[in-house]
Amino acid sequence: MQLAHHSRAGGSVLVWTMLVMVILSLLAVEVLRAVSGRFQVGVQAATWQEALLGAESGVDLAVVELRKSLYPAPNGAWQDWTTVPGNGVLSHGLTTVPNAGLAGSPMNIEVNVDAPAQLKDPATGWQYYRIRTLGSLPLSGPPRVSYNKEDNRLRKLTLLNQRFIDGLFTSETNDAHAARRIEAIIRPLGSFDQAIMSVGVLDLNNQNIVIDSYDSRDPLKSTNALYPYNDRNADGTLKRQENGNIATNGSILDAGGAHVYGDVSTNSGTATGVANVTGEQRTDFYQDPIPIGAPTWTSINPAPSTVTNNTTLTASATKGAASSRYVLRAIDLSGPQTLTLAGNANGSQTYIEIYVTGDISLTGNAQLTVAPGVSATIYFKGDVDIAGNGLVNTNNQPGDLLFYGIQPDTGQNPYVKLGGNGAITAAVYAPGHDVTVNGGGSDGHVFGSAVGKTVTMTGVTNLHYDEALSSGGLINNYKIVSWFEDTR
Amino acid sequence: MKLQLKKSGGFALSEVMVSTAVFSAVSMGLLMGFTSLERNFTATADFATNHADEMRISDYLALDLRRALSVQAAQNDTTILIPAYYDNAGNPQTPALDGRGGVVYGAIGSSVRVRYYLSGSTIYRQQDSAAPITVAMNVKDFVFNVTDLGKVVTTRITFNPTFMAGGASAAATAATAFYNTTLLRNSRTDIASSVY
Repeated sequence: MQLAHHSRAGGSVLVWTMLVMVILSLLAVEVLRAVSGRFQVGVQAATWQEALLGAESGVDLAVVELRKSLYPAPNGAWQDWTTVPGNGVLSHGLTTVPNAGLAGSPMNIEVNVDAPAQLKDPATGWQYYRIRTLGSLPLSGPPRVSYNKEDNRLRKLTLLNQRFIDGLFTSETNDAHAARRIEAIIRPLGSFDQAIMSVGVLDLNNQNIVIDSYDSRDPLKSTNALYPYNDRNADGTLKRQENGNIATNGSILDAGGAHVYGDVSTNSGTATGVANVTGEQRTDFYQDPIPIGAPTWTSINPAPSTVTNNTTLTASATKGAASSRYVLRAIDLSGPQTLTLAGNANGSQTYIEIYVTGDISLTGNAQLTVAPGVSATIYFKGDVDIAGNGLVNTNNQPGDLLFYGIQPDTGQNPYVKLGGNGAITAAVYAPGHDVTVNGGGSDGHVFGSAVGKTVTMTGVTNLHYDEALSSGGLINNYKIVSWFEDTR
Repeated sequence: MKLQLKKSGGFALSEVMVSTAVFSAVSMGLLMGFTSLERNFTATADFATNHADEMRISDYLALDLRRALSVQAAQNDTTILIPAYYDNAGNPQTPALDGRGGVVYGAIGSSVRVRYYLSGSTIYRQQDSAAPITVAMNVKDFVFNVTDLGKVVTTRITFNPTFMAGGASAAATAATAFYNTTLLRNSRTDIASSVY
């Protein structure tokens, strides 16, 4: 009897215990269900975000290759890609970053670059590039949809069948993954994208300089394609512009109290003397100027080989024609001697290219004269010293007299000194040279742009940047002009 | 034996009353505990759901802001213009130069208007004149603010948490704020300065 009595009590305890366990288990299941669903959403959202990082990294990878292609050969551009991009030619690159995602999953960065014909600027001949990228990461956990259909509509995760079926990317598979796709259009940038840019120190020397801009292409921003001074448009707005940006890729910029109608930028550095700057003051500037390699012309006009007296070099109506390409050991003029870059008598458009392997020196009243209609490009390896009214650009367009400094050998410190009275109408790109610009007293005007290893301005009162320069000359960089995430 | 059986089989009134009181107290405690647990669970689940809604709204806005050409910001009603990347069939269009150094999809000046707005208890995303799609439901207490800073745009989304029976305090609502700062990748068409 006593055994039976104890057995009934034990059974009752067992039933209660089981009942409690069932209730607790149901609670645990409900909590697990609620938590795991949200955890899954969190994991999927994080993976989706990381896929965007992958896609954007793909754009960066392609821009790096484009920038490499600007350096003197051999530059290694497109080395690990299928081909060099072209019109109808896709250059394909695939990068896998191991352990990039959650749970150590890899990130696939797939990039296609091409250069469609319709993206070639007929005005400049510059080719824009189309970059299409896919960033993808595998989804950890079971391949199940979110309990919220709005999440599914936003993130469009691949769980069983891939989203994109156009075959543009090989890493798009049916495996569960998050993928994001970007199309970016990349535009070339000219060597003269700023009014003044230096690799190192930029010093305006406290000379009450005025730096502003105009656009010789636009009648609303220029007068007869020239600097408009204080001219106004019909609506009363000033024609001159406020894009006279100055920047250094270094950390020291002394604006010297100059009236800068534009932005002042350093690369994580300090700008001083900026009381009269109308634009932004930024510290996030970065642009490593592309060094210029020596021209590799296969055919040139062999005479003369040096210029030491009155000389005339003739331009050609055909850009790049051998007859208008000269390689000179030096240009060394003094007194009243003149180097004339002559074109057609009627002033029609002609071109001339000169490569000076040594120094350029114009002292006294010596002059370099650019005749009407001539667009001159002068490459130089050594020093440049042009004094007095040494530069006479009869076209009055800085884009018609471009100076490019060849990257100096290690240990050399060449310089460029432009000086004199009156006006200088030219643009100088010499990232390996110390550039000094002297404007010529209180009434001096410089129309153009200057890029140097260091840039120092003394005695210059006005520098007017022609915005048309940004769309001409050698390509120095690329920038994104269109960005779109394809959310099909 | 009978007397002994009667003695062990019954309870005195006082014993019954005490045991009933103890049982009632324990039951009441359990009931209150379960009720509190259930309310807490519901509030937590509600908070998590709202937070997921915040994240989705923020992701939607950021997605369109990244590719925006212009932004018109207002509380609970923001309009974003994005490139007309797709044609009428929904396929990507071929880009073309616009003659001003930029690129355009479709006709020059064309764009797609995307509007986010709160209506009733739902936040919608409407693209041009197409039927709006739901971004988040049951969010009548949500407030999304888009602050246009030019090159970057910030978003702030809040809701009223339900942990307190008397409603959320301003501090509790502020504590639910979900922030996002988005760099606009494209040059804007509605302000002078560009992104890059």
